[in-house]
Amino acid sequence: MTQVQLFITCLADSFFPKTGQAVVEILLRLGIDVDFAREQTCCGQPQFNAGLRKDARAIAEHTIKVFEKTTGDIVTPSGSCAHMFRHNYAELFEGDPTWILRAKALAARTYEFTEYLVDKLGVTDVGAHWDGLLTYHPSCHTLRGINVDKQPRALLANVRGATLVELPHAEECCGFGGIMSVEHPELSAEWLKRKISNLEMTQSPTLVVTDAGCLMHIAGGLNRQKKKQRVIHIAEVLSNI
Amino acid sequence: MHTFRQRIRQSIENKTLQIALDNNAERRLKGRALAFESIPDWRERRQRAHTIRDNVIEQLDEYLAQFIAKNEENGVIVHRAKDAAEAIQIILQILKDLPQAHKENQKEISAHQRSSASPIIIAKSKSMVSEEIELNHALEKENIRVIETDLGEYIVQLRHERPSHIITPAAHLRKEQVGELFHEKLGIPYTTDIPTLTAAARKVLREVFLTADIGFSGVNFGVAETGTTCIITNEGNGRMVTTIPPVHIALMGMERLVPNLNDLSLMLSLLPRSATGQKLTAYAQLLNKPLANQTRHLILLDNGRTRLRNSPLKESLYCIRCGACLNACPVFRELSGHAYIGSDQSIAPYPGPIGSVISPGLLGENYVQLAQASSLCGACKDVCPVDIDLPKLLTRVRAGSSTQPAVGGGKGLSSSTKIGLQLYARLATHPKLYAASQKFAALGTYLLSPRSKWIRLPAFTGWGYSKDFPRFAGKTFREDFIKKNIVESERFTPKIRPAAESATAEEIELKGNKIEQFTKELTALSGHVTITKNPTQKIIEFLNTRRISKIHLEPNTLNESLLQEASIEFTHTSDDQILVGVTNAICGLADTGSILIADGEGRPLHASLLPEIHIAILKSSDILSSLPNAMGLVKDKSAAVFITGPSRTADIEMTLTIGVHGPKEIHVFVDDSNSG
Repeated sequence: MTQVQLFITCLADSFFPKTGQAVVEILLRLGIDVDFAREQTCCGQPQFNAGLRKDARAIAEHTIKVFEKTTGDIVTPSGSCAHMFRHNYAELFEGDPTWILRAKALAARTYEFTEYLVDKLGVTDVGAHWDGLLTYHPSCHTLRGINVDKQPRALLANVRGATLVELPHAEECCGFGGIMSVEHPELSAEWLKRKISNLEMTQSPTLVVTDAGCLMHIAGGLNRQKKKQRVIHIAEVLSNI
Repeated sequence: MHTFRQRIRQSIENKTLQIALDNNAERRLKGRALAFESIPDWRERRQRAHTIRDNVIEQLDEYLAQFIAKNEENGVIVHRAKDAAEAIQIILQILKDLPQAHKENQKEISAHQRSSASPIIIAKSKSMVSEEIELNHALEKENIRVIETDLGEYIVQLRHERPSHIITPAAHLRKEQVGELFHEKLGIPYTTDIPTLTAAARKVLREVFLTADIGFSGVNFGVAETGTTCIITNEGNGRMVTTIPPVHIALMGMERLVPNLNDLSLMLSLLPRSATGQKLTAYAQLLNKPLANQTRHLILLDNGRTRLRNSPLKESLYCIRCGACLNACPVFRELSGHAYIGSDQSIAPYPGPIGSVISPGLLGENYVQLAQASSLCGACKDVCPVDIDLPKLLTRVRAGSSTQPAVGGGKGLSSSTKIGLQLYARLATHPKLYAASQKFAALGTYLLSPRSKWIRLPAFTGWGYSKDFPRFAGKTFREDFIKKNIVESERFTPKIRPAAESATAEEIELKGNKIEQFTKELTALSGHVTITKNPTQKIIEFLNTRRISKIHLEPNTLNESLLQEASIEFTHTSDDQILVGVTNAICGLADTGSILIADGEGRPLHASLLPEIHIAILKSSDILSSLPNAMGLVKDKSAAVFITGPSRTADIEMTLTIGVHGPKEIHVFVDDSNSG
């Protein structure tokens, strides 16, 4: 029996546990055993992005050690955290001959959730049902960070009952950018406004994302503007049968 | 006095600016995408370009030595400046040493006399390096008249502003503002008609070209092997300043080298496409030696580049200044170049994602705060023609790598965020404490907002400025996770499909024959193509229809006795009053509709530049597929230019306007007499 390690991500763990449950459900349905290492916390991206490399490194070392005690591929419902493992850990440990190897070993085991389903398992249809319109926002780090785009789109295309509509200017950032949304709220607000008005143009009541960061940001904006649309992680669409 | 955040707010609140910036982003990105469709192998090309630039920066000293030696051999006076002050000193010294003879020489084509007491006039083509060293300011202090001749630069100079975009200096303005400016400064009636505004600038600036003591330009690329400097422009001002005045000064960032002409042709397939969505700019000049009666100075500027090269930001030196990352950047789209300010409030010389790396990289700590204004969305890396990992470099600036090794870090970060993130890092390395703090946060956020899952935070928190914050989940995932066994009945047997293969790069092949392709490309750019077995006859007919009886003719181009019979007067010297210039084209390029003109007897470079109409004769057998095939023809010429359509600009509201400084019309007569 294949077993994978779930890296839940700090945002999904603390704010959107349902996303994690949906991931587990889908993997179990596909005959994949899921393990969860309880010492995992965060990938360290907020610190890394902010330029606090010492702190980022402490978290990264912790994360590497936690997963070194486990076996199997690591699946994470976040393009951003997958990008962190795959590219930024290499940057963080550059020039450190021991840690760079450990970081690379971690990266080699890591898959973003849809990437794992499509590229590793070869599955594009998980038997999901959804009634109504869906539109997809490709999160920056999923789309450009790890070049994962056709995978979530293929999975969504096979959801029974769902009609996929293209989000205008889908590739534009929603304005989250981690701490940027706090450090430069004015910029963040403008992009969020644009993202929400593009969402409204689709008439879709549901926006699908691959990252809890975008989810929290866009949903927070929709709630502030008292809009009816909801933002949902792709795992929760795919787990719906 | 404004802080960076205040400037950001001002830009966002400026509706006119926002419309201008949206136009810029949308049109440029669309144009870029379209232009790249014609090179399906662009991903491979950009990797090659990356490797070439990597190699150049790695072995910069060797390439520089080769480039300098070749230039000196070619008769170019080479100077090296370690910083801005030194570059300015060199330029002032050149002005001081300006021989009186130069001023006399020039009168050949000058209609106006100036008294010797009048200040020195410098006709300046666009140069971002000159912005970097604040050259205009320094020269004006010395009572030297510097006139920007790129339309966009001219507009911002008249407004006493700095360019807001490295490719489109007046990207922040709308036509109404330009109309008012020209009405006030040039005394023309107020108009928003862009061709009229362009024509007004053409008239004023034509005088400048003809009377300038010095032509000043930047450099797009230097070619180490041949010493060639390459300057690309659309309006023709770059050609004017390097061709007409008796002295040409070129200022170049010392990193802007490519090893050879082949590498240059690769760069030229990427740069215009990325910058303006063109397959090739109207003019791509390749200068080897000074022209007759011309002195050329080349100043190679360091100004922090050596330091940058030895820093973790080295990769930023690969930049070829196309501006694509500005157009793709959502931050730039809100700000424009004027809002990128340092902690001393001065405007950074380079805006956008690349600017947020090289401004602090070249000029230091003052500009590190710019790097925090990014969501690291990666749109910049995605469009970069040399694949610079800009998001990575931005995080390096934030880590403090531009000035010192990553000690401390968090450059440009507010102290509250910094403390918060450091505290969070402590928790994240102690899982038990972490889990406890999640419970604590869940309780806290519940108490803050017992009735809603969302908390309305106040604006000062940053997050609360435009969105609500979610309550922590009552039960985190980790609390809830119980390892389940797979229940066979619930199992779904998936259809296994192999993941779709990514599209493989198609081979580029010319459809149809080269003449057809050439004609199609040039016609699309508003050029005219006539295929004929008797070009002289056809040209005489054309001149008769236009009632033109005098031309500037390159020798050995047309049947001169036929011209005489038809009473067409011709001269082999340049004359500003002549409407038509006729030259030979050394070759044509089918995939871009370009023709190659080189310096030679009868001044073909002038004949193809000063008149309103340029006629070129191109042998059908001289039409080559594309730029790389033609590079060999440039080597032994003192100067040459690839001309792709008539002179053009899009500096006002991105609206294409034909005929700025160079010819308004281009007619190519393809001589098909040798083919069957």
